[in-house]
Amino acid sequence: MPSDPHEEERSEAGSLGLPDLGDGIDALTFEQILEMDEDEEEREFSKSIVFGFFEQAEQTFTKMDNALKQQQQQTNQIIFVFNRELRDLEELSSLGHFLKGSSATLGLTKVKDSCEKIQHYGQMKDEAGINAESDEDLCLSRIRETLVTVKEEYAEAEKVLRRFFAG
Amino acid sequence: MPDREALESPPKPMAAHTPEPTDAQAGVNKEEWVTTNVDVKGDVVADGAAAHPLDRPLDRPGADIVVDSSMRIVQISASYLALNSLLPIDGCHYHYQFAGLDVFDAIKMHGLVPEPDSWRHAIHNALTKQDAYATADIDSTGQKYWCLRVVPVFQDSKLAYIALYAQVNVARHQTEPSGGELDVNDTYRILVETVKDYAIFMLDTRGNVKTWNATATLMKGYKPEEIIGHHFSTFYGDEDIKAQKPKKELEICLREGKVEDESWRYRKNGSRFWANVVITSVYRKGMHIGFSKVTRDLTERKAAESRLISAYEESEKLKSAFLANMSHEIRTPMHGMLTALTLLMDSPLTQEQRELGGIINESGSVLLQVINDILDYSRLASGVFSISLDVISIPDIITSVVRSIRPTLKPGITLESSLSPNTPGSAKGDPLRYRQIIENLVANSAKFTDAGSIQIDVSVACDDEASYTILTEVTDTGIGIPDHGVKSLFTPFNQFDNSATKRYKGTGLGLTICKSLVELMGGEIGFRPNSDTHGCIFWFTTKIQKINKPKQVDELEKQMEGVNISPPDDPGSLLKQIAPGKRLLLAEDNYVNRRIMLKVLKKFGFEQVDTALEGASAAKLVIENPQMFDLILMDISMPVLDGIGATREIRNAGLTIPIIAMTANALKGDAEVYLAKGMDGYIQKPVRLPLLRETLLTWLKP
Repeated sequence: MPSDPHEEERSEAGSLGLPDLGDGIDALTFEQILEMDEDEEEREFSKSIVFGFFEQAEQTFTKMDNALKQQQQQTNQIIFVFNRELRDLEELSSLGHFLKGSSATLGLTKVKDSCEKIQHYGQMKDEAGINAESDEDLCLSRIRETLVTVKEEYAEAEKVLRRFFAG
Repeated sequence: MPDREALESPPKPMAAHTPEPTDAQAGVNKEEWVTTNVDVKGDVVADGAAAHPLDRPLDRPGADIVVDSSMRIVQISASYLALNSLLPIDGCHYHYQFAGLDVFDAIKMHGLVPEPDSWRHAIHNALTKQDAYATADIDSTGQKYWCLRVVPVFQDSKLAYIALYAQVNVARHQTEPSGGELDVNDTYRILVETVKDYAIFMLDTRGNVKTWNATATLMKGYKPEEIIGHHFSTFYGDEDIKAQKPKKELEICLREGKVEDESWRYRKNGSRFWANVVITSVYRKGMHIGFSKVTRDLTERKAAESRLISAYEESEKLKSAFLANMSHEIRTPMHGMLTALTLLMDSPLTQEQRELGGIINESGSVLLQVINDILDYSRLASGVFSISLDVISIPDIITSVVRSIRPTLKPGITLESSLSPNTPGSAKGDPLRYRQIIENLVANSAKFTDAGSIQIDVSVACDDEASYTILTEVTDTGIGIPDHGVKSLFTPFNQFDNSATKRYKGTGLGLTICKSLVELMGGEIGFRPNSDTHGCIFWFTTKIQKINKPKQVDELEKQMEGVNISPPDDPGSLLKQIAPGKRLLLAEDNYVNRRIMLKVLKKFGFEQVDTALEGASAAKLVIENPQMFDLILMDISMPVLDGIGATREIRNAGLTIPIIAMTANALKGDAEVYLAKGMDGYIQKPVRLPLLRETLLTWLKP
């Protein structure tokens, strides 16, 4: 990510006097969304986007849970374990990528970073997506751990955002 | 004269050889003829017979005639008589008829061959020599050859007799017919009549057909009686006749003796054939009597030629297509490699590993450039490269090229550009291709310049109602081009430094690609040495079309210029001006992102934005409506077909619509990868609005 212009803009954005959204949300990016509202009181557009995102995130988490659950069931059976694991890893990676896109757009930095990790683990790589990892089970367990983390991060962000729109 | 057929025919009765005109009936009554003669000669014989012992006909190989010293016939042989068709019949010895006659009188009287002069000449020679004498062949009638031999016989040094021998030389007559003119003509006539595939005929001095052979009839469809007497221009097409080609051909033929031509000729039924024609002037005894004309039908050969040519062209096309496909296929894994390498280089590495990685990276980049060059070249060669007519802003392109190349220059080299004030800010042309040419030339200069400067100069060479001709020059202070290299500068796969240890990498395709692109854009490209230093000046011209603005707008703009002192360079307002007229396609699978992008675009002033939820439908929509969209915003990761695949499909369909990639993949080198995949720009997610605005402005102007 290009950090320099980002930092510059952030300082400018601070002047808008938004309430503190915590370190899970990138103020500048989120502001961009808010700027699209026709009415700053109603915030119809940004609100619908953010709530739409909540829905999307929860659906995605459910899909991730399912993929992992299938994994769990599968490990007890001997047949097709290898293929199954690979296929589920692929699915998890693409789910991670999907949620990464929208969380990045809204500025949910922490959620985005975790989603990216899931994407990389699913590609059988380390968290930064640089080094290959050949142990599928290790990748799966890392995803499982990260999924827990990202749900927490998401819950935190959701709380902040709901408060923001409620206020 | 003796009958000419005497030799070939069985001996005839005397009828044709009446010794005296008054004895016309002698043949009918042989007995009478003989009796009369016997009576007549009887006295003579009596005198002669008393003089010497030879009183009977001589037979070969004896002498044909024996005369005494006073040239009176002593004896005459039966065979000689037979030779003259004067045969003794039923054993009667007619030789008595001749005995005592003066030999020359007898020859003359009976028409004996050969004629008296030959005999006289031979006898004279023999007597002068006092020895035997033989003549060379005597052509007595045009058909027969005679050999005369004269042997004087001396008794006590006194001439007693002369023996005369006459021999007809039949063998020579048969083996050497060429002496006869008629035979030569016959031979040629037969040859001309029977030769196949060649129409051979004669023209008179004015060009009218005089003769017509069988092949001419077959080839041209005219029977001899239909064409003889007609002018030979009958065989020519209207255009040739209008151009007075037949007349000109005869003129050339008269001047040079011969003229050859290959062109269409027409048959009687109007159909045409591809003919090779040779016309030759014909002279007899220095006088021009006409022309001979030989025509060959080359239709089949020409067809075969064109089949060969098209087969060759087809194979060239296949070769180029193969090259293009191969390069394309090689590019994909190359990108994979380079991307993986970038990731590798970001991981903790030892110094040595980093250096090795650097080498791989550099080599890979060079290889990629080579493949891209080959891809471009083969596309150009196979003619699938097309030039689009978009809005082109040359100042913008130059600025952008300078900006992108400057960081890659060796330290100490400066890159500057100067545009003449009348350079149009916007016109119609192909911005991508123009950029490619200028980039290529500047990169080339950068490659071969170790110190000094590179200068880009743009000026308007000329302009007319509809277009500008832009002259772009790239001047460097590099190593220059040796004289011997100048000629082959623009030929493919050529670098003037082709030594095994060549310092400069590359396929040698860059300039060839530039040349093809320039020519596709209706311009020229060239080189001249930089006279200040030993560097190069590469120049090219491009024709770009003027944008036709209604006059009113022009005037309005003038007024506006007066009012508005500071030009509206706020990108937001600029984009707002052009956005309403543009139609965009947003390909994005994520609902949240899609909604936000739509909102952003609406804020920017866009009124027409279509959406596609995945790559395949995006590609389909664009390919089916090639003129509909001005720009595509393309997410990379999408189901069914990702953004890269969709871009490939669109580019394969020959469309040059700007495609901007959008992705949250924040890897270094991604931008290059997407650009190499046929995309024109790259925006990272989360999208920074100023950057998006700038990118849209770049690709939508104005």
